[in-house]
Amino acid sequence: MTDQPNNWQRRTFMRQSFLTIPAISAVASVPLSAWAQDDTPPLSEYYPRFFEPQEWAFILAATDRLIPADDNGPGAIAAHVPVFIDQELAGDYGNASDWYMDGPFLSDLPAEFGYQLPHTPAAVYRLGIKATHVYCQRQYGTSFAALDKAQQITVLEALEAGEIDFNALGVADLPSQSFFAFLLQNTKEGFFADPIYGGNRHMAGWKLLGFPGARANFLEWVDQYDRPYPLGPVSLKGLQNR
Amino acid sequence: MATLSLFAVQASASAGASSDPDTLARGAYLARAGDCVACHTAPDGKPFAGGLAIESPFGTIYSTNITPDTHAGIGGYTEQEFAAALRQGKRADGANLYPAMPYPSYARLTDEDVHALYVYFMHGVEPVEHQPEQTDLSFPFDQRWGITAWNWLFVDQSTFTPTPSSDAEVNRGRYLVQGLGHCGSCHTPRGLFQQEKALNEEDGSEYLSGANLNGWWAPSLRGQPADEEGAKVSGLAGWSRDDIAEYLATGRNAHSAVGGEMTSVIANSTSHLSEQDLTAIAAYLKTLPAEGSTRGNDSDATGVAKESSTEQTLTRATGLDAGARLYLDNCNACHFASGTGAPRVFPSLVGNSLVNAENPTGLIHTILAGAQLPSTPKNPERLMMPGFAWRLSNQEVAALATFVRAGWGNTGGAVSAEQVKDVRETLNEQPGYSGAPTRYGAKTSAEHATDNQTPSPSKD
Ligand code: HEC
Ligand code: HEC
Ligand code: HEC
Repeated sequence: MTDQPNNWQRRTFMRQSFLTIPAISAVASVPLSAWAQDDTPPLSEYYPRFFEPQEWAFILAATDRLIPADDNGPGAIAAHVPVFIDQELAGDYGNASDWYMDGPFLSDLPAEFGYQLPHTPAAVYRLGIKATHVYCQRQYGTSFAALDKAQQITVLEALEAGEIDFNALGVADLPSQSFFAFLLQNTKEGFFADPIYGGNRHMAGWKLLGFPGARANFLEWVDQYDRPYPLGPVSLKGLQNR
Repeated sequence: MATLSLFAVQASASAGASSDPDTLARGAYLARAGDCVACHTAPDGKPFAGGLAIESPFGTIYSTNITPDTHAGIGGYTEQEFAAALRQGKRADGANLYPAMPYPSYARLTDEDVHALYVYFMHGVEPVEHQPEQTDLSFPFDQRWGITAWNWLFVDQSTFTPTPSSDAEVNRGRYLVQGLGHCGSCHTPRGLFQQEKALNEEDGSEYLSGANLNGWWAPSLRGQPADEEGAKVSGLAGWSRDDIAEYLATGRNAHSAVGGEMTSVIANSTSHLSEQDLTAIAAYLKTLPAEGSTRGNDSDATGVAKESSTEQTLTRATGLDAGARLYLDNCNACHFASGTGAPRVFPSLVGNSLVNAENPTGLIHTILAGAQLPSTPKNPERLMMPGFAWRLSNQEVAALATFVRAGWGNTGGAVSAEQVKDVRETLNEQPGYSGAPTRYGAKTSAEHATDNQTPSPSKD
């Protein structure tokens, strides 16, 4: 007889399933009128957990170049993309906790062979930012963040094209285009991932796309032809933006 | 089966009572029908070894060990003493049992069934030498003799006799519902002295007319539709016999899905009963006229919304008030704009008794903590609804619950943030089972949700 009076068990079960939803901290503090209200502090009050101050300055500047604020709406800074990247690198992803990270590392294999750099994503950023910094010092006599926008874009383009030789700058086994690929990919993720992960603040990325967020079911829209969808997005945490 | 009979033979050699396999099997079945395991098992404890805490305003009543262990359990009980415990609430030493043990209902048991139960408990249950916590109420509630007067006033100690005007099926259902099933202990309102206001239908129309279990509505089970055309359908009037039997077997049907205290009744008891017995229960419930009920199910038989303007509002999705918007953001995924969900998967909220209950505690609790269906032999899948406590504020839950209670022709009243706050505060309590006489103040096990609904940041 395995059956037990088991109402309490289902609560335990649910609790466990809650815990699989990461990073839920502040709860139930959203007043009804708080459309798009978000309790995250402004970027200026954010203390990075992974990045050192100089690295942080690079990330702020670089992501701002990759997704700038413009006529289409807010950019990476307003959307707190740097926060997303910082948290991502401080956690399992940054440490490649569930990646196979032993050798051999062979750079000329087809993509099916998987990740072939000897560096965790966290190390890629540390080393990549360091090499880029040395490069900017030599080329411009100042840091990346202190360059004007056009110069920053020139540097990013050179990184993307693999034209900056990190090896010659003291960083081995990291092509500059690999560093750039991480940066671009994580910037996009930070712009479009659920706000629960630190980025996409006020669901700016979703607003841009018209993506309604975590609402799950649109059955009643199947036969509403030619009617624009009137509702703004909702996040995993239940935040709304109109 | 071979091991069962072997065990039976060995056991009967040691004890005196005859224990043929048929009687044993019947006793096991009747123990299911009486849901003995639910009350007589502590969380994580051995079956029937007792120790479940039943809270009461007078103190905690612990269920006892009813395994055949001679010291800790009831191994020393003669069949007569066992019968007296079941039907009269008398312990072997002559003391009165607290009516947390549902002997006012078990009084209906036939001698034959008491015998089968006795055989099962003596020979089919493994003895457990575990002395559970003892009940120790303070004066005057420790004076068990005081219960004698209560018994005299409120307990009808006559065993069951079939009603001649009913057919055999209805009589079988009547016997199960009034006796072993002790359905009235939750579904019949209680009086001033915590007594059930009626122990059977002749006692009055309050029998099974619905009751509040600490705010959680145990709906009316009176199933005969009212005569007048257009009269409000209440109780189980909108449910067919098959609907009722399906619910008792699986916890779900086209109208509803179980989420509260009934979950454990279904998991431990009714889902183990034969189809004939469940149909008999349904047949009996359908003979009870529904007018005695207060607020129950007012959907029609198919659970289809009588009023479609709520559906239209949600479909248009413009000019929504906070409650409607919250419904779309949080609930529409499964319960749909029609509110009718999908039969046996997502219960209908339209005319649903939990949604329309006068006291909204059950609805609030379901929104905050979610609910999970029991796994039953016929429908093992434990479908669940996630809880929203981590995601919605008290104010938001209030607006949402108010919307759901007024939408699609539902008739529940408004819900305040204060009411939500009160329910939220109960979510952290310890597990337990209220068992029957919840008027002793036992908390529903649903209220004893163990989880802290506010998960701490688990990511880094
Ligand atoms: C709703 C809860 C509940 C259910 C269901 C229930 N019991 Fe009990 N039972 C109790 C409690 C509580 C006590 C102890 C009461 C007391 O200490 O006064 C008890 C006491 C007893 C006793 C007296 C034991 C002793 O310690 O001497 C027996 C025998 C017993 N139950 C048998 C059964 C059987 C058999 C069933 C199923 C047909 C059953 N009970 C179902 C709650 C329940
Ligand atoms: C421990 C208390 C308890 C006992 C005993 C109990 N019920 Fe229930 N029952 C409830 C509660 C509470 C609900 C409301 C559903 C829920 O939230 O669990 C309910 C719901 C139901 C429903 C669904 C009604 C609706 O309109 O949704 C049926 C049918 C039912 N019970 C039948 C029975 C029968 C038959 C018995 C006896 C064999 C029984 N119950 C014994 C507490 C109980
Ligand atoms: C992921 C799907 C899902 C979502 C989202 C969901 N529910 Fe449920 N709901 C279910 C399932 C499955 C059940 C049946 C679970 C049970 O009864 O144990 C249920 C049960 C219920 C019940 C109990 C019905 C009954 O017959 O007793 C109510 C009331 C309810 N839901 C309301 C809501 C409200 C209000 C929301 C929005 C906050 C919501 N649900 C969101 C799946 C869902």
